[in-house]
Amino acid sequence: MRIVIAGAGEVGSHLARLLSTEEQDITLVDANSERLATLDANYNLMTVVGDPTSFEALREAGVADCDIFIAVMPYEANNIVACAIAKNLGATTTVSRIDSYDFMAEENIDLVRRMGVDRLIYPEYLAAKDIIRALRHTWARNIFELHDGRIILAGIKVRQGAPVVGMKLRDFGFANRNFNVVAIKRNHETIIPRGDDTMDQGDILYFTTTREHIDDLLRLTGKVQRTVKKVLITGGTNMAVRLVNMGEDEFKFKIIERDIEVCRRLPALCPGCEIIHGDARDTELLEELGCGDMDAFVALSDSSETNILTCLTAKEMGVKKTVANVENIQFISQAEGLNIGTVVNKKLIASSTIFQLMLDADCSTSKFLALADAEVAELEARPGSRIVRAAVKDLHLPRELNLGALIRGDEGMLITGNTTIQPGDHVLIFCLAGSLHKVEKLFN
Amino acid sequence: MSGHIRKRKHLLNLRQLGRIMGWLLIIEAGFLLIPTLTAAFYHESDWLPFAATTVLTGLTGLLLSRYIRPQSHHMGKRDGFLLTASVWVVFSFFGLIPFLFCTHNLGYTDAFFEAMSGFTTTGASAIKEPSAMSHGIHMWRAMMQWIGGMGIILFTLAVIPMLNHSGGIQMFNAEVTGITHDKIRPRINQTAKQLWLIYISLTIILILLLWLGPMSFFESVCHAFGTISTGGYSTDTAGITAWDSSVYVKLVVIVFMFFGGVNFSLVYRALRGDFAALRRNDVLKTYLCIIGVATALFIVAIIAGGSGRNWMQYSIDPLFQVVSTLTSTGYVVAGFSSWGAFVLGIALVMMFFGACAGSTSGGAKIDRIIFLFKNIRNEVERTIFPNSIRSVSINGRVANSELVTKVIAFLCLYVLIIIAGGIVIAAMGVPLGEAFFSAFSCISNTGFSTEVRGWGGGFDLLPDAAKWVLALLMLIGRLEIFTVLVLFTPAFWRR
Repeated sequence: MRIVIAGAGEVGSHLARLLSTEEQDITLVDANSERLATLDANYNLMTVVGDPTSFEALREAGVADCDIFIAVMPYEANNIVACAIAKNLGATTTVSRIDSYDFMAEENIDLVRRMGVDRLIYPEYLAAKDIIRALRHTWARNIFELHDGRIILAGIKVRQGAPVVGMKLRDFGFANRNFNVVAIKRNHETIIPRGDDTMDQGDILYFTTTREHIDDLLRLTGKVQRTVKKVLITGGTNMAVRLVNMGEDEFKFKIIERDIEVCRRLPALCPGCEIIHGDARDTELLEELGCGDMDAFVALSDSSETNILTCLTAKEMGVKKTVANVENIQFISQAEGLNIGTVVNKKLIASSTIFQLMLDADCSTSKFLALADAEVAELEARPGSRIVRAAVKDLHLPRELNLGALIRGDEGMLITGNTTIQPGDHVLIFCLAGSLHKVEKLFN
Repeated sequence: MSGHIRKRKHLLNLRQLGRIMGWLLIIEAGFLLIPTLTAAFYHESDWLPFAATTVLTGLTGLLLSRYIRPQSHHMGKRDGFLLTASVWVVFSFFGLIPFLFCTHNLGYTDAFFEAMSGFTTTGASAIKEPSAMSHGIHMWRAMMQWIGGMGIILFTLAVIPMLNHSGGIQMFNAEVTGITHDKIRPRINQTAKQLWLIYISLTIILILLLWLGPMSFFESVCHAFGTISTGGYSTDTAGITAWDSSVYVKLVVIVFMFFGGVNFSLVYRALRGDFAALRRNDVLKTYLCIIGVATALFIVAIIAGGSGRNWMQYSIDPLFQVVSTLTSTGYVVAGFSSWGAFVLGIALVMMFFGACAGSTSGGAKIDRIIFLFKNIRNEVERTIFPNSIRSVSINGRVANSELVTKVIAFLCLYVLIIIAGGIVIAAMGVPLGEAFFSAFSCISNTGFSTEVRGWGGGFDLLPDAAKWVLALLMLIGRLEIFTVLVLFTPAFWRR
């Protein structure tokens, strides 16, 4: 697939690297030649130096015959302009990153489309959605729901004493037919497990199951569901504002912000939320605010390091659920190792959206989730595709992926070796990073 | 992309390198098949050494690629440099075997010199009487140049899909000439395929054109390979002068030597209708300019020296010689050695320049020379206007100062290596002038033998040790210094 990416910032570079390892034709446009030079010399992609909002640069990058045009520059106005130009030059689908809700509002969506923007990525909005999901399911590291929760994929960290610890996967499978373990994250590495792999303490296990067995899952992994009500947010960033606006009915938020100017602006942006001027790194301040009594601590400041450290402090003070915004992908698994409940990352969110879009061209995807080194997708099996030809155990699937569960009609069921996938089934797939193109082939 | 910090156990991924080397040798075996068939077609006894070499190369390749199982497919910068540099050497070692066992066989040193000279498109020959050699040998000499002209790695990237990842990019960067490496398509294998497609098309057109003239089909093929790759091997002892009377052959060869010296990605753009890229291109303009000016100077010198005997020696011959020298082809017209020292001096300058980056030619490349002169101009003007900010721009783009520094360092190193090479060869008992000339001729991949200086002999007269040094210089010149030299730095082998 031909993909042109405008803007080699953090998100743009990440997408370019990721998609080039997924065997896509990537052209990256940016005005800064030095930023492009390293990417050009080390990755299998092409770079074009030029202003991504200029006709000349976009023509040179070949937007006229590209399948997806992605504008991820820092300012949304530039992105919209770039998309408008690309669309009119002939790009099939255009995607723009935005940072205000305006463009997504129901009454404006038609207008935005007429401007030449087909899809929007609003990382702060998607992150807020993820955080709310995490606050609802305190026991899971990652959670992914299909068809209103008929099928659930949950990443759960298991500790010493949980019933599953020490079990071989094969034995677990015999005893519990209602769960599949699709992946294990151990020591910064995600593995697709086989029958003789063992579940150890400290592993993050990715289970697929159906809605009615959630309670059993909690029991097996030694977890309890807590109801979150009081949430402390650090950093009055866009993401925090979005979170407060989206979750104010369900949760009671408090925001700590260091910059007095930002503090003054916040009440207008999130009415009804308590704003505190202060530094979240100040332990005394946290104590004063009753941090220990909070149900959840959400660190959303611009600094990943501060977020990780303040989460650890909050954890020590007795907060059960912590969420941190970590910008650096390399830090994510470190943060997970440090027992930070849930990590959100704008780059992963952006790549989730793009992957979804790529697969959409071939099959109808409804959902997609990018983890630090793996991806989860829900795909519809098409008539005549390779995946429906035989029972799963006879398909000789690549080792990098695992089929978890499927939805047939309205019913969710787990996939075993004997399952034969039928056309029209929605299948949940777990695959390691860089192997999405293999999934694409299976379902096409 | 992996989400965690990866620990690298080894400095080099030797297993992966071994496996790729295996694939490469299988490809070389494929190329060796052509001279084998040629020799068999002409009922020459040389088919046997060729067939044996093909089998040996192919088997080695098969063993390497089948039985080496790398734990990881990751390739870093070091792997890219090491593989690219060693491929050229390994190819030469396998490529020299037929020369050892053919009729009129060569010694080991001469055979290696011949193979390296072929692959690097230098075209310097240690064979005294090329005419006496079999068709098979001629075909292999031509093939070597043709593969080496566009690049061994580039060919591999086009045909082996397994290299279509960042490891392939490292190898591409280590082999392709020029300051920055233009990709013409997003994925490296597409870029390689397009470049080879252009190369192959030009070759086929050239073969047909030459065949229309006085050359036989076999001679057309050999000369086409030698021309488009800017190599310069000929099937005749007299070289291209064997067709001295044919204006047609000379014109065709001039045009295609010229194409061999043009940046192939520019040809690609022009073929796709992007003529604006041609107009914008300073390098192409300078290339044409140099050809024009040098030809005029040659003609003046010939008239002044009174050495011309017929009209051709005042028109086509100087043009032919200029294009042949500038593109580092190294074909010589009759009478070149009698044109005098002034002409030879200009020829030396052109050997240094070379043609455009991204072409099959050798030399330091015009791109770098433009950088050099623009930078010199800036520095001179800055002595008068110390506060003015001046930039070096090429093809309408301003280059950053790091790039300029890199280019200047390259040029300094280039000159230093010529001097060092010259001194080493002189120390082996070769007269100083001839020593420097040989070193220069080899590093620029031109392949002029010292005969053109009137020494009366070619590379076959040099001592064996000098041939090994010259072969190394050819490789350094072809891979544009850094790829080879970096292997000799301690930093390469140390973390």
